[in-house]
Amino acid sequence: MYRNDTVLPFFGILFGVALWYMAYLDGEHIARLAGHTPEELSVGQLGLITFGIVFFLFGAIGYISAWLEGSELRPGKHEPPGGVVPMVVIFLLVLLLAGLSGLFVNAIVYGLTEGPVKPAFMGQLAAAILLVMTLLLVVFKKFFVPDEVLVEDEHSEVPW
Amino acid sequence: MYRWLDERLSLSRLNKKFLRKAFPVHHSFFLGEITMFAFITLVLTGVFLSFNYEPSTRLIKHLGKEVPAAYASVLYIDSLPFGAVLRSVHHWSASIMIAAAFLHLLRILISGAYKKPREINWLLGLALLGLSVVTSFTGYSLPFDAFSVTATQIGYGIGASMPYMGEWISQLIFGGEYPTLHSIPRVYSLHVLWFPLLLAALIGAHMLVMLKQKHTQPAYAEKVAPGKILGVPMMPQQGFMMGVLFLLYLAVVFFIAGTWIAHPVEVFGPPTASTPAVKPDWYFIWIYGILQIIPGDLKVSLPFGAVMNSEFIGGVMIPGILGVVAVLLPFLDTRKTKLRYMELPTRHPVRTSVTFALLAFMLTTTLAGWKEEFGFSNGQLWAIIIISTLATYLVSYLIIISYWGRPPKGEAEEA
Ligand code: HEM
Repeated sequence: MYRNDTVLPFFGILFGVALWYMAYLDGEHIARLAGHTPEELSVGQLGLITFGIVFFLFGAIGYISAWLEGSELRPGKHEPPGGVVPMVVIFLLVLLLAGLSGLFVNAIVYGLTEGPVKPAFMGQLAAAILLVMTLLLVVFKKFFVPDEVLVEDEHSEVPW
Repeated sequence: MYRWLDERLSLSRLNKKFLRKAFPVHHSFFLGEITMFAFITLVLTGVFLSFNYEPSTRLIKHLGKEVPAAYASVLYIDSLPFGAVLRSVHHWSASIMIAAAFLHLLRILISGAYKKPREINWLLGLALLGLSVVTSFTGYSLPFDAFSVTATQIGYGIGASMPYMGEWISQLIFGGEYPTLHSIPRVYSLHVLWFPLLLAALIGAHMLVMLKQKHTQPAYAEKVAPGKILGVPMMPQQGFMMGVLFLLYLAVVFFIAGTWIAHPVEVFGPPTASTPAVKPDWYFIWIYGILQIIPGDLKVSLPFGAVMNSEFIGGVMIPGILGVVAVLLPFLDTRKTKLRYMELPTRHPVRTSVTFALLAFMLTTTLAGWKEEFGFSNGQLWAIIIISTLATYLVSYLIIISYWGRPPKGEAEEA
């Protein structure tokens, strides 16, 4: 808590994965009791996975923040490193994004004209698109956005 | 284009004043943002749902069976190409908003950020948490399947058990004794219009107060720029981080929500005369658990014919006491100076250990919600709840004291 370190984010990710695994084991257990795999999540599984998601998000953004913003801010302007490799990575990600988006539009059209597409497929495809967009932003911010750290007066006029 | 707008709206002034506002950086500050992004996702997916949902319990024919119109319209949503995923994302996000708001509250608590001058935001936050739970609860009743009707009845019963005004409040929300013909239209209006508007207004106020008072900072900032705000500008840096978090949020939630449809109404079926064995949503289970382990026939008579029954004592009074303590907290834990920096949890062993003990209490009362499945007796559960709560406090206190030492008297110094 003293600085923007990665101690808590580490445990965040660990907890997130552990809670998800608990929910998974819970599901296995329910399946064994019921003699078949139930089609719905139990209330307990919902709760465990929910906290799993929040812990995981907290951990992930914690690591991203530490990588992009550092563990301690230092006042002043900092130029981004730039470079050819990140440029190539961005180019490839954009290609991937275009491909996945095309697939997504196709799947929607298919769903409208031919019949249902599995929700799991649609959800995971959307997730892949969003993940690529996240990576794009992260790489762009790390290598191409100039950083600035401000020192502001506590009694600034914002918002009044 | 920018020049054209600038000449008319003085955008550069806006830029100088607001968009260059400094935001302190710390990972724990993202918990509030996760809560906010869950809310934004709820609004966006909610618009889609409201286009297709029919708020009515009138029976209609659907594939040869008589089912409530609301239930049939949810089946229709699920049949749209991306419909089931968006409905699932809505349900998961509601869950996440509550969980994230709760963890955000814990972070405020263990870092002392509720203290002067931030009492107002602490109170606004408590109202937000309560309202999120109520909004989520009203949403739960809308699909009108066998599961949701029963779960809503449990909540209705707890609300109606409040002496004097319980019936009144429950009937105000549900348009009479749930479920009546008027329940769903009434709950619908509250769930898609009034509660979200109120939430948006409260979140706006929460943010405005934070901008005015300035965010707390990680403690190292005191060495770098004492008495000042050390941070990154709103635009572009903070904006980028928020964009990254929002996209990552959506990626994770679409993955989970697509893979596990949260509330598959097809599986639950339309409401039937026989009540299925149903538990309330997970954030109510600790209350439900308390109800399981107190005697079911408690009755305390009050003047004017009102009574406090078990439902009230377990379902309203015990959470109510926690709520009152939370409301009073910033006024009991006072200090003369203004709090600028996050306090280290390890320098406040009592407060930190009480927080952990509270968590242990909620986890073990949640466990009590599965009393029947696990075959526990009331005595065993009481023992588990009391012993783990106290033991958690003691162990946490001892670990902090032995590992980080006693905090100095008076103002806690930084390690
Ligand atoms: C449910 C909806 C809520 C939303 C959308 C929300 C959003 C936020 C955001 C974005 C921040 C700034 C970043 C951060 O510190 O995390 C913040 C700060 C704050 N929140 Fe919340 N919050 C909510 C609930 C709560 C609750 C339940 C509490 C506690 C009772 C609370 C108390 C505070 C306080 C005291 C601050 C200032 C923190 C500081 O200066 O260090 N909020 N909130």
